[in-house]
Amino acid sequence: MGSAAKCLAVLKLVLIERLVYRLNFFLQVLSGVLTSLIIIFLWMAVYRGNSVSSLGGYTMPEMITYLLGGGLINTFILTTAENNETSQTIADGTLSGLLVQPFSPYWVWFFRDMGTKLFLFLLGLAGYGVVFLFFRDFLIFPGSPDRWLLFAIAVALGVLLQFLLFESLSLLAFWVENTYGIRFTMRVILEVTGGAIIPLSFFPSILQAFFFALPFPYLIYLPMTIYLGKTPADEVAGALVRMGFWIAGLAVINAVLWRRGVRRYVAMGD
Amino acid sequence: MKDLRRYWELFLFFVKVGLMKQMAYRPHFFLMITGKVIRIALLFFFFQAIFLKVSRIGEWTWEQVLLLFATFHVVDYMMSITFGRNLSSHLPSRVQSGEMDYRMILPANLLFFASLEDVDMMDFFSFLPTLGFLGWVLWRLDMAIAPLQVILYILLIANSLVFLYAVILAIATTSFWTTQSYGLAVIFDNLMKIGRYPLDIFEGFWKVIFIYFVPLVLIAQVPAQALLGALSPGFLFFAFGVSGTALALALMFWRRGVKNYMSASS
Repeated sequence: MGSAAKCLAVLKLVLIERLVYRLNFFLQVLSGVLTSLIIIFLWMAVYRGNSVSSLGGYTMPEMITYLLGGGLINTFILTTAENNETSQTIADGTLSGLLVQPFSPYWVWFFRDMGTKLFLFLLGLAGYGVVFLFFRDFLIFPGSPDRWLLFAIAVALGVLLQFLLFESLSLLAFWVENTYGIRFTMRVILEVTGGAIIPLSFFPSILQAFFFALPFPYLIYLPMTIYLGKTPADEVAGALVRMGFWIAGLAVINAVLWRRGVRRYVAMGD
Repeated sequence: MKDLRRYWELFLFFVKVGLMKQMAYRPHFFLMITGKVIRIALLFFFFQAIFLKVSRIGEWTWEQVLLLFATFHVVDYMMSITFGRNLSSHLPSRVQSGEMDYRMILPANLLFFASLEDVDMMDFFSFLPTLGFLGWVLWRLDMAIAPLQVILYILLIANSLVFLYAVILAIATTSFWTTQSYGLAVIFDNLMKIGRYPLDIFEGFWKVIFIYFVPLVLIAQVPAQALLGALSPGFLFFAFGVSGTALALALMFWRRGVKNYMSASS
């Protein structure tokens, strides 16, 4: 079996697995949709209650588009933002079985994560589709195909960045008994600093400076500001390059952690 | 009285075991607490970012929104320390795995076990800064609060816990028939987060839904309004009536669920 066929096989398997618990996953996605709706209602009340047409440079339609788009991205970024499988496999020793297979466990985890994200994206589209229809009069679409393309590239890079970020923490399971605490803390920070519930430009400049020193704003805030044309065209390339640096840096960290980790890996069994 | 004392001792035992279990991985324990405190801080900044641009959300000022926010998180923590995860997560998995069997033969109330067996001490330690935050918000309110308002506030917080207990118990009880109750619990968990915001953000149909049909207004808004002296006596009776009725119905449903339990163990 060639490498591509192996990757496809892993993707197919994870989709089949997820389909078994499709109702629970769908309810999870639905609750994400609900959260987006709550935040939208909150912002609508803020705009209408204070009789303002623009806040922080965002009109109400721009804000609604931002929150719905961000919510959809959040569905497959945040719901999978734990990379639980990696640390569990290392901690409970089932990694031993994977190590003797002719396909690196690291790539198995990668493609399983991508499969889960794809599955959640499709469920998210179904869930958000209804909401998009409900708010169709407020939605804004990019005027040019270039902007669509740049948006798609930013989302795709964001997916990769998110995997690498959480994978680097999960791989710490080779050294520490429980990595959930650190992954949870990172996820909590991501919830707000990723920009899913509020555009980061609303925060005081000192907090913005802190947030932009982290990789999280590249996950939701950057793609959505590219989509809405809030990131000037001449700054998009620079932002995507910075994102590329984060990805490259984290990929190196992942590779080092994986190699060193496997070397010190010990599994008890019967 | 003797029974009460026995259950109190049992509860203290659960607290001790909970602490021992969660302290087994100390870095994890402290990181989780840090993460939970950071979450509250970031949500505070979220509201602050809005109020840097506007002066009100609906009829609510910055200080009032902070009171609502702090009240919500106090209730949320009290729930998650005690019955929250026990009912929404542990009970369904124990029903599915057949682990309820041995709990049924213990000489103690099954519902007591189902509701309190795993006391979340991690959330207890995250709760303490939230209490401090509530104290800071009360100090900032800069208004005279009568003792009756404070008593009503405490009673309505207890009432909101009764309401949440009833709803979560009803959802968890469905696990005696279905394997999908966890998804419902996740939905409710997200739904209840609406209680963190002033319900004025909803209009017309939705406002009616969240006040009368799924009265999320009971979680934090009603206690906060009582403390601010802005709650009508009619609504006070409505709040207690809804929670009492919900609890009675949930207990009836629970009894039916237990009768329907079929062990799944080998």
